[in-house]
Amino acid sequence: MHDAVRATVGLFHVSKSYAAGHFALRDVCLEFQRGEFALLSGPSGAGKTTLLKLIFAAERASEGQILVLGRNASRLGAAAIPSLRRRIGVVFQDFKLMPRRTVEENVALALEVVGTPRREVRARVFAILKQLGLQDRRFHHPLSLSGGEQQRVAIARALVNEPEILLADEPTGNLDEELSLEIMDLIAAAAKRGTTVIVATHDSAILERYGGRHVRLEHGRVVSEHSTPAGREGE
Amino acid sequence: MRQLWARLISLTRSALRGLSSSPVASGVAVVTIAISLVLVGAFALLASNMRSLLDDFGDALVVAAYLGENVPASEYPALADLARSVEGVESVQVISPEQALERFRVGVGRGAALLEGLSENPLPASLEITLLPEHQSAAGLGVVVESLEGLPGIDDLGSGQQWVEGYLRALALVRGLGIGLGAILGFAALLIVSNTIRLAMLSRRDELELLALVGASRSFVGAPLLLEGALCGAAGSALALALLFLLFQLVVPGFEFGLELLLGGLSPHFFAPSECLALMAAGVAVGVVGSLFALASERFA
Ligand SMILES: Nc1ncnc2c1ncn2[C@@H]1O[C@H](COP(=O)(O)OP(=O)(O)OP(=O)(O)O)[C@@H](O)[C@H]1O
Ligand SMILES: [Mg+2]
Repeated sequence: MHDAVRATVGLFHVSKSYAAGHFALRDVCLEFQRGEFALLSGPSGAGKTTLLKLIFAAERASEGQILVLGRNASRLGAAAIPSLRRRIGVVFQDFKLMPRRTVEENVALALEVVGTPRREVRARVFAILKQLGLQDRRFHHPLSLSGGEQQRVAIARALVNEPEILLADEPTGNLDEELSLEIMDLIAAAAKRGTTVIVATHDSAILERYGGRHVRLEHGRVVSEHSTPAGREGE
Repeated sequence: MRQLWARLISLTRSALRGLSSSPVASGVAVVTIAISLVLVGAFALLASNMRSLLDDFGDALVVAAYLGENVPASEYPALADLARSVEGVESVQVISPEQALERFRVGVGRGAALLEGLSENPLPASLEITLLPEHQSAAGLGVVVESLEGLPGIDDLGSGQQWVEGYLRALALVRGLGIGLGAILGFAALLIVSNTIRLAMLSRRDELELLALVGASRSFVGAPLLLEGALCGAAGSALALALLFLLFQLVVPGFEFGLELLLGGLSPHFFAPSECLALMAAGVAVGVVGSLFALASERFA
C-alpha cells in the first residue's frame, strides 16, 4: 500500500466559529484514510460534534479547507451537498428517528432518497435489520423500542447504503456498558469492510477497549493523537 | 416507465401522509380555497349566464326599420334595395302592414280579441334587416343603425341597440367585480395556503431536516409538498363546485322572476364541464403556488 491513496477525509487548518470571537474548532489539521477507525474524544464543548458536522456539510468551516471524498466540503454549493451526504452515513447523537414511521421505513429512507427501486429497498433493509438483530422489530415504531434498539436502528439507517464514510456522534451516549460495546462492535465492523469510521465519544470504557486512532480535542484544538495498530480489530 | 410509476406512487403516498399528519392545517387550506372559489365562481356563473343570453340575442339580431305612412307600397322594394346596399346588412325582408298585424295577432295570442274592434290597421310597414355575423355586436349594430338612419322614407329604427349596450355594461361590471374579487380572494387564499403549508412544514421540521441530512435532494423534499398543495387545491375546488351546484339548485327556483328579468326567457345554466375543469385548475394552481411560496420561505439544510 502506498500513499498515492488519497485520504477520504482531510481537514487543513480548519477553524469554525459560530459566534464572533469564540471558536468551536481552531486550526485543526487531520486526515482520515480509507478503512480507518478513529475515535474522537474530549470534554463536552470540545468541538467533536462540530468536526463531524463539517465533514458532512451540515456546517461550513469559517477558515481552512475540508476535502471529503475528493470534494471540497467547505465550498460545496447547496445543490451538490445531497450527493456528498449520500456517500456518508451518520449516526446522530439524538438518533433522529422519525417517530411516526416504522423501523423499516426509517431505515428505508436512506435508500429512497437515492431512488433505489422498492424491491431492492426491501431486500437491503431486511438484510441490514437482520444483521443488527432487529428483524422482529421492523414493523414497530421507534418510540416503542428500547434505547439500545433505537440506536441500532439509527446505525442500520447509516449503514444501509454502504457509505464510504461512517460518522457516529456519541453512539453509546445513554446505553449501559455491555450494550455500548455491542453497538461499538457493529460500528467497528464497518471499518473492516473498508468504510472510514469516525466516532465521537467521551466514554472511557470505549476509549480503553478500542484501539485504532485516538484523537483528543480540547477547546477546539487537537491536543493529542496516537494510534494503537492492534486496536483496529476492536476486541 | 415502471420506475416513474413507482416514484409517482411513493410521491403520492408521502404527500397523503404529509396531509394526514397535519390535518387541521390541511383542512384550513382546503376550506380557504373552497370559500374563495365559491365567491369567485358565483360571479363567473352569473357572467357566464349573461354571456350566453347575449349570444342567444346576437343570433336573432334583427333591425326593424319602420317606414313612414306616406311611403307608397310601390316604393317598398326600392327602399329594401337601398337598405341592402348598407354595409353590414345581410338580407332585407319587407313586412307589409298586413303581415305585421298578423304577426302581432299570433304574438299576443288570446289578447288578439282586443284587435277585433280596430277599424283600420294601425301598424306601419317595415323592413326587417338581418345583419352579417360580424356586425352582430353592440358596436357593429351601432354602425349599421347609423347608416340606416340616413336613408329616406324610414321613420324609426327599432334595434334594441341601447338595451344591448346597457346589458353589455352590466355584464362588464359583473365580470370586473368577479375578476377583482378573484384577484383579491386568490391572493388571500394564496397567502393563507402558503402559511398553512408552512405551518405543516414546521410541524414536520424534524422529518424534513432529516431528509436533507440523509442526502435527499431539494426536489425529493419539495415534490411531495407541492403535491400536497395541489391536492389541497383539488379538494378545495371540488368542494367549491359542490357548494356552487347546491347553491345553484337552491337559489335559482327562489329567484325565477329576477333571473327572468336578467336573462330573458333563457333558463339559467350551470358551468359547462370545461368551465368546471378551469375552476379545478385554478384551485390546484393556488395550492401549488402557495406551496412554492412556503418552500421558498423555508430552507432545510
Ligand atoms: N449551533 C451552534 N451555535 C452556536 N454555538 C455552537 C453551536 N453548536 C456548538 N456550539 C458551540 O461550539 C462549541 C463546540 O460544540 P460541540 O457541540 O462541537 O461540542 P462537543 O464536543 O460535541 O460537546 P458534547 O460532548 O457536549 O457533545 C461549544 O462551545 C458549543 O457551545
Ligand atoms: Mg456533541
